[in-house]
Amino acid sequence: MKDPLVVLSGVVKRFGTFTAVHRLDLEIAQGEFIAIMGPSGCGKTTTLRMIAGLETPSEGEVRISGQVMNDVPVHERDTPLVWQSLALFPFLNARENVEFGLRMRGVDTVERRRRAMEWLERLDIGAFAERSVDTLSGGQRQRVALARSLVTEPRILLLDEPLSALDAHLVIRMQGVLTRLQRELGITFVHVTHSQSEALAMADRIVIMSEGRVVQIGRPREIYRTPGNRFVAEFVGRNNILSGISRGDAIETALGTFPAAGLPAPGRPATLVIAADLVEISQAPRDGAIPCSLISEEFVGATVTLFLEAADGTELKVQVPERALGELNQHAGSRYHLSWPADAGHVLTET
Amino acid sequence: MNRFALVFRLPIIVWQGLFFLGPLFFMIVMSFFLVKNYRMEEAFELKNWARMLTRGYVWDSYWYTLGMAGSATLVATLVAFPAAYALAFRVSAEVRRWAIFLLIIPFFTSYLVRTFSWYVILAGSGVINAGLGTVGFGPYTMLNTPFGTVVGYLTLTLPLVVILQTVALANIDQNLVQAARNLGCSPPRTLISVVVPLAKTGLIIAALFCFILSFGDFVAPYYLGGSKPPTLPILIIDTTKSGQQWPRAAVVAVMMMLTLFAIAATAIWLAYRRRIAS
Ligand SMILES: Nc1ncnc2c1ncn2[C@@H]1O[C@H](COP(=O)(O)OP(=O)(O)O)[C@@H](O)[C@H]1O
Ligand SMILES: [Mg+2]
Repeated sequence: MKDPLVVLSGVVKRFGTFTAVHRLDLEIAQGEFIAIMGPSGCGKTTTLRMIAGLETPSEGEVRISGQVMNDVPVHERDTPLVWQSLALFPFLNARENVEFGLRMRGVDTVERRRRAMEWLERLDIGAFAERSVDTLSGGQRQRVALARSLVTEPRILLLDEPLSALDAHLVIRMQGVLTRLQRELGITFVHVTHSQSEALAMADRIVIMSEGRVVQIGRPREIYRTPGNRFVAEFVGRNNILSGISRGDAIETALGTFPAAGLPAPGRPATLVIAADLVEISQAPRDGAIPCSLISEEFVGATVTLFLEAADGTELKVQVPERALGELNQHAGSRYHLSWPADAGHVLTET
Repeated sequence: MNRFALVFRLPIIVWQGLFFLGPLFFMIVMSFFLVKNYRMEEAFELKNWARMLTRGYVWDSYWYTLGMAGSATLVATLVAFPAAYALAFRVSAEVRRWAIFLLIIPFFTSYLVRTFSWYVILAGSGVINAGLGTVGFGPYTMLNTPFGTVVGYLTLTLPLVVILQTVALANIDQNLVQAARNLGCSPPRTLISVVVPLAKTGLIIAALFCFILSFGDFVAPYYLGGSKPPTLPILIIDTTKSGQQWPRAAVVAVMMMLTLFAIAATAIWLAYRRRIAS
């Protein structure tokens, strides 16, 4: 890793008797796009707010560029945050909102205006500069909020689910805007989200949190293909999760014994994770395939997820391309056979 | 608008007509009546208006009342703000509820009684002068001065101003305050650049209430201000007493109404104007 810009070491945050963040250790590199992802209430916002200084850690240290920040007040940190609610000032127009940070730094009127306009134009909203912010659309307000945070040229930008209120098609566009900006500016983005598509699409590294703890840190493909534990396997992607006992080079589960690599010593418990898109489905019986019946399907466009049930009641999921569906001619109760290549299984040693 | 909308609005229209527009209209009409032999006669003459608007003492009284009510509004706004700020941001919601309840209590007791209690405190031999006397100051004349009038106005208005300001401040979206800090705004500057603009509507409405109540108050300038010079409400009473000049009093009343309309309209325009110059 390049020199870390932000270091959280042993950071704990308690609200009264409730611990929102437990001993968090995290290093964020200069110029990195990091996504913090996890279910609602897992402590993502609290973590971000501690970096910004809006919350003080109960224990541990936050360092930025090597400097311990715990006692540096919010307004001296230069860690702009794009708020979930955007938090634009309603009594200022779009341009004045963008100028706010510059005004606080004592930049003179002419220069302030020039730089604000430059950013508004860069984000394609120059035409709305003099508009009151509550006459702007969601996407335009988003861009004003981004411009307002970036106009002071910070080393780091914190984003707290800024895309969660946008329409689906705008989310994709804003993702493009964000990744392009981050690459052009070369600054660190810490993006909090509960949407895996957002995290997978944009981040260099993803931090998965659960109940105030970091449960895995990794590149998007790592997180997606090799989840480190059961929580990540359930939370990211669409995985089939089978508990069993190691037999050395195979794992014995309720559905049968499957060859797999990376198993613990024979006799120890283990879990086999098979991504739904790696499962093969056919109507004809095949050697070693698991017979199942179809329960329901979920159609989201290019891919379709089929939910099936094995003889013992275990639920299994398969993702197939929509155009492959014709051959399956599925209806509820249809019988199929599932199998997967030996290398598709990913083993978790914890259960 | 459909028929039912009119039916539903009828009670409020009738109410306004009976108790507000009716008397107001009658007062305007009365300002053109004449008084002969201590009796009012229906007429339409401009004499009352001509007489009152050309008298120096009427205008002295007008500007004095405006000045006194304006000063009380300024003082109340500035004195109430720190208290309202503390109640809105520095205490728990529980404490805030109690404080607002306690601020309502003065309205349960007679304003006249509260005004007279200032007598004991402000008098030449009153509590304050006695206190100052022991450390070698005074005595100061506080009764029958403009100072006394303002103290009286504040007795009437300050609790209300604190309540309205507290509500205005407590309703501020804290995310906006934190966003300002996050963008490099120091705490004192946040107060001026973000908190006050966000609470603007409520702060102006609070000041407007203070002004309206003070402008129309008779008790404070009469008992604590010594009615020298008289404020407009005192002028109205004096005018009705001297020779049954109800029409001339109506002229003063209409002047007050017009002034309040103009000031209220300006205040409300300022309060609800979205943008503020930066
Ligand atoms: N100021 C606070 N006081 C008490 N509890 C809080 C406060 N802020 C957050 N929490 C609690 O901490 C937990 C984590 O919150 P948060 O970081 O906002 O979660 P996320 O952003 O991941 O949804 C939640 O259970 C939340 O209720
Ligand atoms: Mg959150």
